[in-house]
Amino acid sequence: MVFLFTFFSAQISFAQQDSDSTNYFSPNNRLKFGSYLYKDKDYLRAAEEFKEYLKFSYDDTVQFKLANSFLKIGRYTEASDNFKTLFLGSSLSEESRLMFFESNFFLNDYNFFRTLTEKEIYLTEKYSREVDRLNSITYLFDNAKLPDENLLLKPFSDSAKSQISAFFLEKKFPKYRSVTTAVLLSTVIPGAGKIYTGEIGDGITAFVATALSVYLSYNNFKNDHQFRGWLFAGLTAFFYGGNIYGSAASAQIYSARIRFNFESEVKLYFEQRNYFLPRIDY
Amino acid sequence: MIKVTVIILVISGSLFAQTDWNKWSGQQVSYEITIHQIHDYSIDNSNIGMTLLSITRNLYYFFISDLDGDNCAFNPSCSSFFIQAVKETSIFKGTLIFADRFTRDINFFKGMNNYPLLPSNKYFDPAYNYTLNSQKIKF
Repeated sequence: MVFLFTFFSAQISFAQQDSDSTNYFSPNNRLKFGSYLYKDKDYLRAAEEFKEYLKFSYDDTVQFKLANSFLKIGRYTEASDNFKTLFLGSSLSEESRLMFFESNFFLNDYNFFRTLTEKEIYLTEKYSREVDRLNSITYLFDNAKLPDENLLLKPFSDSAKSQISAFFLEKKFPKYRSVTTAVLLSTVIPGAGKIYTGEIGDGITAFVATALSVYLSYNNFKNDHQFRGWLFAGLTAFFYGGNIYGSAASAQIYSARIRFNFESEVKLYFEQRNYFLPRIDY
Repeated sequence: MIKVTVIILVISGSLFAQTDWNKWSGQQVSYEITIHQIHDYSIDNSNIGMTLLSITRNLYYFFISDLDGDNCAFNPSCSSFFIQAVKETSIFKGTLIFADRFTRDINFFKGMNNYPLLPSNKYFDPAYNYTLNSQKIKF
C-alpha cells in the first residue's frame, strides 16, 4: 500500500510539465540558436537569427558573424554593407576591412574593386598585403590593362611567384589565332585557315571538296555541259565561301577556348589556395 | 465430396495453369534501327523566309532523313543546324555557316576535333558558336 502510494505521488511530483515559461524568441536564445546554426554552417538561417538579435542589442562579433554569413551564402553586397558598419570603434575593424574587400572582390566587378583599393579610407594596415594580392588577382580575371609584372607579383610569396608569373605571361601574350590571318589564308588556299587554327582534318577536307568541285565545273564547261558546269560552279562557291567563313569562326572559337581554359585554370589555382586569404579567428 | 474436390482441383489446375508457350513461340523480329531523334515538324511562321525554310526542312525530314535514319555525327543535326544558323543570323550568313558545317561533316578524319562528345555519341556543335560574336561562344 505504502509502495503504491509512493509510486503515484512520485509520478505527480516529478512529472514533466508542459507549462514551460521559456521564451525561445528572447534575444539571448536567438543568439544561441544563431550561433549553433553558424557553427553548423547553416549561414542563411543563422543570418536571420543574428539580424533579430541585433534589433535588441548591439554586439560587434554578432555583426561580424552576420556579415560573414552573407559572404558565405554569396550575398556579397549585403556582406560588404555589414562589414562597413564595423570599420570604426570595433575590435574587429581590421578584419572587417579585409572582409569588406573580399566581399567586393567576389562581386566580380574588378574595376570597381581596384577603385576601392585606391580609396585610402577603406584600407587596412594589418591586412594590406592580402588586399594587394586580391588587387593583383583582379588583373588576371578581367581585361584591364596589365600593370608591370614586378608590381603584380610583389604581394605574393616567392613560392607562388613562379606560377603567377606564368599566368601573367599567358595573359599578356595569349596564344590566340587571328581571324584576319585565318580568312586570308583560306582565301588564298582553301582550308589553310582551318589548318592554321588546328583543324587539320577540316582544312584538308575543305581543300579537297573545293578543288574537286572546281575541277568538275571546269571539266563540264569544257565539254559544253552548261547546266552541270554551273551546278558545280555553285558548289565551288558554296565550299569556298563556307570555308572562308568557317576559318574566321574557327579562329574565334580557338581563341575563346584558350581564354576559357586560361580563366578556368587561374580560378582553380586561386580557389584551391583560398585566394591567399588568412583564416580569421574571432 | 472428396471426389468433387479432387475433380475441381484437377480441372482448375489445367484451366488456369501458367503456360510457357508465349515465351517460346516464334516472335516477329524487326531489324530496323530505332531512331532516337524525333524530328520537329513544326512550321516557323515568324516570317515568310522561315516558313519556306521550315517547309523545305520538313520535306527533307519526310522524304530523306526519316527513311535514311539518324546518321549525322553532330547534334544538332545539319538540317536543324541550318535552321538555327538562319534564325541566329540571316539567310546569307546562315548558308555560309551551314556550308562550313557541311564541310566539317564530310571530314575524312573524324575524331581529330575538339567538339564535346554527348552521351548519345554525337558531337555537340550548336550554331550560336559560329555567328562571329565572341560573346555568344559557349563551351
